[in-house]
Amino acid sequence: MKKILALALTLCMVLALCATASADRAGDVNGDGKFIVGYISKNTTDTFHGPINTYAQETLDALVADGTIDEWTGILDGLTDPGHQCDLADDCLSKHCDAVIILPAEAEGTAPAVEALANDGVAVVVVNSKTNNTDDLAATYCGSDDVYAGTLLAQHVVDNCPDGGKYLHIQGVLGNSAQIQRGEGMHSIMDANDKFEMVGELTGNWSSDEAMKIAEDYLTRFGEELVAIICDNDDMSSGAQGVCNDAGLPGVVCVGVDGNNYPLSMVKAGTMLATVLQDGVGQIAAGIDAVVALSKGEAIEKEYSIPFVLVTAENVDDYYTGE
Amino acid sequence: MDKTLNDKKSFFKSDSFRLFMGKYGIGVILFIILVALSIAEPDFRSSRNLINIAKQVAINGSIAFGMCLVITAGGIDLTVGSQLALAAVLLGEFVMKREMNVFVSCGLTLVITTALGMISGALISKFNMFPFVVTLSMQLVIRGMAQVISNAQAVSITNTTLKAFYQGKVGAIPVPVIILLVLAVIMYILLHWTKLGRYILAVGGNEKAAIASGVNVFWTKVMTYTISGFTAGLAGIILCAKTSSAQSNLGVGYETDAIAACVIGGTSFAGGVATIPGTLMGIIIIGCIYNGMNMVGISSYYQSIVKGCMIILSVLFDKVINKKK
Repeated sequence: MKKILALALTLCMVLALCATASADRAGDVNGDGKFIVGYISKNTTDTFHGPINTYAQETLDALVADGTIDEWTGILDGLTDPGHQCDLADDCLSKHCDAVIILPAEAEGTAPAVEALANDGVAVVVVNSKTNNTDDLAATYCGSDDVYAGTLLAQHVVDNCPDGGKYLHIQGVLGNSAQIQRGEGMHSIMDANDKFEMVGELTGNWSSDEAMKIAEDYLTRFGEELVAIICDNDDMSSGAQGVCNDAGLPGVVCVGVDGNNYPLSMVKAGTMLATVLQDGVGQIAAGIDAVVALSKGEAIEKEYSIPFVLVTAENVDDYYTGE
Repeated sequence: MDKTLNDKKSFFKSDSFRLFMGKYGIGVILFIILVALSIAEPDFRSSRNLINIAKQVAINGSIAFGMCLVITAGGIDLTVGSQLALAAVLLGEFVMKREMNVFVSCGLTLVITTALGMISGALISKFNMFPFVVTLSMQLVIRGMAQVISNAQAVSITNTTLKAFYQGKVGAIPVPVIILLVLAVIMYILLHWTKLGRYILAVGGNEKAAIASGVNVFWTKVMTYTISGFTAGLAGIILCAKTSSAQSNLGVGYETDAIAACVIGGTSFAGGVATIPGTLMGIIIIGCIYNGMNMVGISSYYQSIVKGCMIILSVLFDKVINKKK
């Protein structure tokens, strides 16, 4: 018992000693002589966020190793919960962070986290999707134009279903800015085209499994009349396409956004026509570049736009790594 | 050396030590965690961070107090997460869309969540249905109600009075901390000093004996779910103020942390055993685990493992100490 206690206390002291101060430096907003970076993820479970977190982990570790930044918080798990992201923002302030990268769980609910950080002078780098106060308070936004992604989805369907017909829209988690904006872009094209009729608009909560159930129900109801299923992400569109293919209706055009590995493999195999690639790693890379610029005292832009790409059989080899 | 070791062994085996640990063991654990984290990470013990933790635990704390009563009476309440969402959505509707007075809106919201808690309780006690099944179903019903009312759209809360429920301060103390402390005092009086409190402990301890002693089991059980509905509604108001948003997907999975806080705080799933100070310490321990691991820089991938192990260890600790006693 005594030994364990002694060991534990020694460990604690060693940890405490590890924290040492260094000289003045650029980007230090709280005057502790260090440049500390916070990283608030959206979650650590979604397929789309996995590679983003891994890239951030490796890159930020390397930046600490080469002395560009002094410390970073490690990946703080936002649990897709705006309330928890607000707590993490407070934790970053307690850790004396000078710049915080945040991938918002919600456009509205995560806004107080950005506000709390910005009010304390912390440079907030918003990545992937905007909070409703990002334009006013964040140092920069690195993401993609989701409205444009929505138009790509719709245009793909219009191009591949020349006769028009009935289509289904499977949404992401309701209230999420990606869901709202992709839907807006999609509707701007589909609503203007009177050949198409939307027969349903339901949430699949970004989940392949839920999207498959919805697709099954609508195939049962409409059968061959259904020409397309537009999904807010491609976990859902690959699930929906699988259902259509299994039902002997591979002609139903399913399309979604993200460019995750499995949907790309379907495009490669020819079992799905296309998917819209959102370059998540490109977004976080731009975010970390902005942080590096801040740490050197350089100016950064208010917004970095990372383009979406429609991936079809023609260009799938450029993006599918085959793993 | 041998002698001191023997002395020590006998001290750890002595009745007075076991009695002390049985009663205050959870407090000792909390103290050790606090000291260890403070040594490991100076930022942890800064007053700013300690206030942060107090603020952060208010929501889970409010839910956990209600949950504690329900578990003590032998039940479980899985509706709390969706009650939070419903409360937030109702506030969005009342305060932002209908522009009603904030306090009237909060009152109405609490009435509705409390009534829903009462319905769960009545279904469970009247028809003797399993609490797990009833509250699991009610969770869906309530989440659905929140989606219907909000049309699944997020409403931004701009009303400063409502936001003050999380962001406001009285002196140096944040409002949510005051709410939690007042609630703790009320709950302490309710469970430890009133007839209802003794009935709750009696029903959970031995339902048949409670019936034989003339305790109204139906109303006792209904009251626990009713109170849980109230505290969940209160937590929903704080959450709504915290995120400045009213949306139907708030509070998913919040029941887990509340149940964990109760269990760590010594509330027994067998029923009949609970203390409010213990629950409060369980709440703070959960908050310290979340915050402390972030402060020390433990990877988030390991955090849920640590949390799970903490719960098992604290229950095991409780078993060992109280068995020997």
